[in-house]
Amino acid sequence: MKVIEVNNLVKQYKGAKAPSVDDISFIVNKGEFFAFLGPNGAGKTTTISILTTTLSKTSGEIRVAGFDILKEARQVREKVGIIFQQPSLDPQLTAEQNIRFHACLYGMCGYRPTFKLMPASYRNKVLDLAEIVGIQDALFKPIKKLSGGMQRKLEIIRSLIHTPDVLFLDEPTQGLDAVSRRSLWEYINEVRNQYGTTIFLTTHYIDEAENVDKVCLINRGKIAACTSPEKLKQSLLRQELILDAEDRKTLTNELSALGMPFTVNGRVIVPYTESAQEIIARLQTKLTVLRIHEPSLEDAYIEFLNKTGRVAAWAN
Amino acid sequence: MGELVLTRKTSRFFREMNTVITVMARDITVYLKSPSTAIMSLAMPIMMMGMIGGNLMQNMAGGLDFNFGSFMLVGMLINMLFMITTMGMTSLVDDHDIDFNQEMLVSPVSRYSLVIGKILGSAFGAIMGMAGTLIVGLFMGIRLPIGQFLTILALSPLMCLSGGALAMMMIGLIKNKKAANIAVMLITMPQMFLSGAIIPITNSSGVLLILNRLMPMTYCLDLTRAVIYAGTPEYNSVVMFNPAVNFAAIVSLTVVCLIIGTFFFAHSEKNR
Repeated sequence: MKVIEVNNLVKQYKGAKAPSVDDISFIVNKGEFFAFLGPNGAGKTTTISILTTTLSKTSGEIRVAGFDILKEARQVREKVGIIFQQPSLDPQLTAEQNIRFHACLYGMCGYRPTFKLMPASYRNKVLDLAEIVGIQDALFKPIKKLSGGMQRKLEIIRSLIHTPDVLFLDEPTQGLDAVSRRSLWEYINEVRNQYGTTIFLTTHYIDEAENVDKVCLINRGKIAACTSPEKLKQSLLRQELILDAEDRKTLTNELSALGMPFTVNGRVIVPYTESAQEIIARLQTKLTVLRIHEPSLEDAYIEFLNKTGRVAAWAN
Repeated sequence: MGELVLTRKTSRFFREMNTVITVMARDITVYLKSPSTAIMSLAMPIMMMGMIGGNLMQNMAGGLDFNFGSFMLVGMLINMLFMITTMGMTSLVDDHDIDFNQEMLVSPVSRYSLVIGKILGSAFGAIMGMAGTLIVGLFMGIRLPIGQFLTILALSPLMCLSGGALAMMMIGLIKNKKAANIAVMLITMPQMFLSGAIIPITNSSGVLLILNRLMPMTYCLDLTRAVIYAGTPEYNSVVMFNPAVNFAAIVSLTVVCLIIGTFFFAHSEKNR
């Protein structure tokens, strides 16, 4: 079942010479973990803003959770949650007051002037979530006294308190330490497993997208690829055997004799597409190193940027 | 993991009322946490009522067939409501800067509820300022009977809504704090002089007549003066319209300004 359906979306900002998002189309199915990857300025945040109804589109048709984002914006908003790329907390309120504000706007409970007067269901939920992400001690402190990482965790609690069907995460772990990143992903996976929440992720930590169901690569406003991480890796990179022997010359001669392509870069690297087992079985030279290198999504992503010239542009 | 789902309240009316209260409560919380804002809204009447009003009383009151002190007190009370509410509305620009407007606009509630909540939140500071005006008035020997004060207090949210809705038409479009501060002056100063807050406008004509008839504050002032001067011989010299006409004009102008202001606000946030 399609939960996000984007057809020919175009967004050109006022005064811009070219569209930021240029005729893109993709589908995200219910319960899917979807990653939208691309370099800075590729159009990721613009797309998320349009999907969450906070930015108007120039043209195109979009349905989120079965609702048209233009004609049924309110219904769309009911179904989505978002962690914005930039913090969107009120620094003059406490952490809990920010959560209360959000919960009340989403109709989770009636407003009360203090935490103690809020319904027990709300209080328990906030305390539970605060414990999960580790900000229970900071819950009643003003936002301006919290670190960037703590503020991010607070935004995570806020985005989940109304249990959205679709959760948009726009670089959610930016500024978080490794332990917090891990605990956040464990929690998001738990939410996903328990409630079938669809996750739409943009991130610059490509390893976070390694286990997604589908990945879309966007560059200069256009989608370059939209497939599973495995297929993307296969299309951009090959698997490699990393070999070495006491007598490396014998090994390279044998590989040449067998007609196997290889490169020497510290070790002997043999790319392959079929079975690693077959290659190893045919070698007679005694090996001192034998490793299989599985390309990561990050390798594929860097390769994608290389091919599109973005890495060179960045280096210059 | 514990139970994640909080039950949503399904009544649309409840949701919208709750939104108004929540947004309003946020502004009141912020106001109470900022002693400097509270002090300024209490100090403003000293300048407006004490200095400007005092000077006018000493130099302009002669020859009028009504008590200028009471006339000016009402003018300053309503002017203070409009001015401080308008200033409070500039916090929308701050909210834009910290991306808090996005947090509000992504929520599944009416944009009108958000704007009305914002206006009523700003009104809290304005009503505090009104108290300051009354205190300064007492020192100047101008007294307001408790019954009349309570009537004005009951009408003050409507008047703040009216002033805030008018302010939204300009501030809703502005994304820069300096421009917003200039806008406050552009909105409040003409009203102060053209709607009869401190200078009688019963003899206005031409363009000035058209302008004062278009300003919601004209009707707010006239309605309040109708309450204050009811049953006195000065009533006909001071009050221009029937209170029902004033009330209808306030409601109509407020609704029009609210619709236009809310559209500008939501449109400018979304259309970049």
